[in-house]
Amino acid sequence: MSLGTHHGGRGGGVQEDVGEIVAVADRVRGAIETVIEGKPEVLRIALTVLLAEGHLLIEDVPGVGKTMLAKALGRAVDCSVQRVQFTPDLLPSDITGVSVYHQDRREFEFNPGPVFANIVLGDEINRASPKTQAALLECMAERQVSVDGQTRALERPFMVVATQNPSDMEGTYALPEAQRDRFMARVSVGYPAPQAELDMIDSHSSRSPLDTLVPVTDAAQIRDLTDRVRAVHVAPGMRRYVVDLVNSTRTSPDLRLGASPRATLHLVRAARAYAALDGRHYVVPDDVQALAVPVLAHRLLPAPEAQMERLSPEQIVAKLVARLPVPGPQ
Amino acid sequence: MPLASLVCLLSALPLLGTVVRGETWWVPAAFVTTAVCGISALYRLSGWNSLPVPFLQLFAVAFLSTPLFAPHEALLGLLPTWDSLEHLAQVFGEGVASIDGNAPPVAASYGVTMIIALVFAVFAMASDFLAVTARCPGMVGGLLLALVTVPLVVDDAGVGAVAAASCALGFLFLLAVDMWVRGREWGTRVPDGRDPSARLLGRVLRVATVSAASAAAVLLALTVPLAVPSLRSDAFYAMADGAYTGGDVLTTTHPLVSLRRELGASSDRTVLTYRTDAEQPDYLRTYVLNEFDGENWTMTPVSASGDTLVSGELPLPAGWDGEPDGGPVTTRISLDSDSPRMDFLPLPYWARAVDAPGEWYADPDSLMVFTTDSPPTGLNFSVETVDRVPTGDELAGSGAPVSLPGDHRNLPSGLDPSVQALTDGLVEGAESPYERALAIQEYFTGGLFTYDLSPPGVPEGADPLSHFLLEDRVGYCEQFAGAMAVMARQADIPARVAVGYTAGERMGDGRWAVTVGDAHAWPELYFEGAGWVRFEPTPAASGGEGQGSATVPDYASGDGGAGERPAEEPGGPDTESSPSTDPSEDAEEPDASPGADEAPEDRETEPASASGGGSDAGPDLSWLPAAGGAVGALLLLALPALARALLRWSRTASLSGGEPAAAAHTAWRELRDTCLDLGGPWAPTESPRATAERLSRFGTGTDVPRPDGVPAPVPAEAVAALWRLALAEESARYAPAPTGAGGLRADLAAACAGLAAAAGRGARVRAALLPRSLAPWHRPRPARDLAATTP
Repeated sequence: MSLGTHHGGRGGGVQEDVGEIVAVADRVRGAIETVIEGKPEVLRIALTVLLAEGHLLIEDVPGVGKTMLAKALGRAVDCSVQRVQFTPDLLPSDITGVSVYHQDRREFEFNPGPVFANIVLGDEINRASPKTQAALLECMAERQVSVDGQTRALERPFMVVATQNPSDMEGTYALPEAQRDRFMARVSVGYPAPQAELDMIDSHSSRSPLDTLVPVTDAAQIRDLTDRVRAVHVAPGMRRYVVDLVNSTRTSPDLRLGASPRATLHLVRAARAYAALDGRHYVVPDDVQALAVPVLAHRLLPAPEAQMERLSPEQIVAKLVARLPVPGPQ
Repeated sequence: MPLASLVCLLSALPLLGTVVRGETWWVPAAFVTTAVCGISALYRLSGWNSLPVPFLQLFAVAFLSTPLFAPHEALLGLLPTWDSLEHLAQVFGEGVASIDGNAPPVAASYGVTMIIALVFAVFAMASDFLAVTARCPGMVGGLLLALVTVPLVVDDAGVGAVAAASCALGFLFLLAVDMWVRGREWGTRVPDGRDPSARLLGRVLRVATVSAASAAAVLLALTVPLAVPSLRSDAFYAMADGAYTGGDVLTTTHPLVSLRRELGASSDRTVLTYRTDAEQPDYLRTYVLNEFDGENWTMTPVSASGDTLVSGELPLPAGWDGEPDGGPVTTRISLDSDSPRMDFLPLPYWARAVDAPGEWYADPDSLMVFTTDSPPTGLNFSVETVDRVPTGDELAGSGAPVSLPGDHRNLPSGLDPSVQALTDGLVEGAESPYERALAIQEYFTGGLFTYDLSPPGVPEGADPLSHFLLEDRVGYCEQFAGAMAVMARQADIPARVAVGYTAGERMGDGRWAVTVGDAHAWPELYFEGAGWVRFEPTPAASGGEGQGSATVPDYASGDGGAGERPAEEPGGPDTESSPSTDPSEDAEEPDASPGADEAPEDRETEPASASGGGSDAGPDLSWLPAAGGAVGALLLLALPALARALLRWSRTASLSGGEPAAAAHTAWRELRDTCLDLGGPWAPTESPRATAERLSRFGTGTDVPRPDGVPAPVPAEAVAALWRLALAEESARYAPAPTGAGGLRADLAAACAGLAAAAGRGARVRAALLPRSLAPWHRPRPARDLAATTP
């Protein structure tokens, strides 16, 4: 769905605060697009999740630029970025950090793990053991780390960008539903268009374009922007619309497991950010419709009948969206 | 709702007041109706499935009718037994017989009361089903209409104003209750946020729409029947007028009823035309009624058998052994093809031979000619009659009737003695039967009586005959003929009543035209040696009323032909005198004074003049009904377009000024309706943006299936307008404070024009003539559950 791409999509009343969001987002987008070309929708979802203070799950086959996307995002925003390569032998303390006893000072000193960063890139998260996954996911949900009985808050913004490879299932631990639920959205990058791939050959031939990427914003500004996103208006009808949509996943006969109340919150927050990225200070049904599949689909389990019909959760969500009337005039 | 339908039915009860006599006939009906509706109401309180309701009601009716109508045979006066059921069937049969056998109003006998009660029970069940189970209370109107038609068809007086109003009020009450119930099902009423002036405008528009629709309906109801000839009002009567054959015996429904109906008919259409050799044709006789039961004259059943089959000559009437003198006169009669079928032929008296296609039988006694088949309309036949008119002298010389069976002087025993006294007084001093007959006729024509097609009703309990003769003395040919025949029988003259038509009027081309207004009844008296001769007691009434074309035969005018002519009107000298006394004079008159035909008369002269082509009565306005019909049809065709235009105008008018949100909503609704009109889809699951996106490709075939024509994309400026409208609507719906967007009106016009241009001509024409958006089933339903989210 192309939103606001033409015909003055931003004409719905641009305000000062959302105007800045649009400007910053455009800069970030422009920076990332020097690295990853032809994926505006994926970029848009990624920015939405960043502004909505969620976490992003990138699910795709190897080599389509999942890591590159996450890295570029971290680079474009001038903030701390940590990368964790998940392997089966990775321990929870490898993520959260450990307390080390200093012989000379006779005290424990906490060595923060990679999770203490603004953007944490978890590569191949499904290769780690469930115990390690759980440690990361606890940090994601609570935005704090508890080590040795001490709780340390994480910095804002805090965003986990996890990648997972769905085709290579050998020796992996697929994320359980409860943990997938903590990701605000799941996207697949997909193969680039032929032209984008051609351009890619040129740009990647000499050196990595990531090296030339200059930060266009910083963590403080992102914090400010997320505060503004929280103020985006959601009309009563729109709230009801979101609730109805999430509810319909619970009652749909095609689904064994519907979306959680957390999904409702995530959807509203994402919709706010999505609207702000479009320069609006209020949410419209199109925001929710555009986000329904990325935000909801990865939390759902199709019923056996739907699986036999080869209906993917994405298709089921799209069907539910197409069936739900948008809120009319009040 | 069940109680509302009860009120509705009870308020329809007075409709039957004109057709049933008595005071308490309505009590069982009301009782049974109440029971039926009450059971429905009680059962529905339970909230169970309403399927068993009709069965419960049937059960209740069955159990109620036993104590109501057969209490003695029932067990403990309540439970039905075999005897009680038999009794019920018997009572029912009695009721049917009494309804069949009596002219309305029917006395409220046990059987009639029971039939009414059962009919109302069935109606109550039907209306309960329609109004409550099926939730279509409007359909109950059909039941009420059926009730209304009973008095309308059966009784001349029709429906009383009070009864009609009561019925209508009851129906309206039912509809109102239904609306109220429906309204409650939608929840409590939320006041709309419009300002008073907009609300007033809405109300005015609603009233205007309703008035326009009703006006169009009334206009059509008035003009279409006029414009379409086959929808004339009397076609209805043709259905009710039946003759039934049972075996070989043929009976026909009351000839007097059809006579009354024809005389009462508002139109004056031609029944038949004929050409005759006679200079002065006689009346055309259809029926002969020779039995008097104390109230009505009825026909002896005639039988159709091989003996009575007409093959050439007809039998000789009583009193004649051979052909009388007098030349044969041939009359060729053409029945009008629009008239109801006649299974009795109208013939001049007396007919010697009839040449008509099909099988016809002749009654030897009365010389009626009839068929048991269904005769074709527009029949052409010829009849040969004996042109023989007796003179007064001849009749004066006739003595007591000897060659006739005595039953033509029979009278029922229960006649009012005052009538006999009256007859005795009239014929006192008259010696011969002829003088007695003249004396009786003179009593009617002497000015005491008034001719009126709708005489006042006879008070209950009074004898109609003596009331007519002695009390109010108002009536028309049926009363005059019947009363004179009775009095003649009392004066020992064989008499009977003939029903048919007068000779009608002579048209310019030599033909004679007989119209429904010429329907007539007259007495025939028997004189030994002269046979049956007709008399004419019906007076010409003052003020132009009366049986216009009736003529008094010379022998019956009392002085041999030159005397007074009590029954004729000023314009008809050509139609009264007898050719046997003064043939030359009468032969000249019709042609010599053609203007007399069109002299002012009480009868309508239009049919004659119209068919004769000699009309000079002002401008020809016959195109008016057709034009009215055409205008009505056009109006009907244009009604949807007008309604749509009105709606568009009111919406456009409300765009400028007012709240920006309301204006955006209005503009968006109008855009939606335009899109629907043009055949485009409109989904409630589409957001304004998505809609604008789709509509901007309207007509390109990428999204909307084009009904016809080549793709014509929406012009760019229309697309821009479309997007502005969509964003305004979006902001009005979802933004915390909608921003006013100027130029909505121009945008709306541009967008609608762009859509229309992209839709193609066929869709445009259809959108103009039959806007789909007016049909509620085309409208997207509002999003459900939204009521709960609105603050």
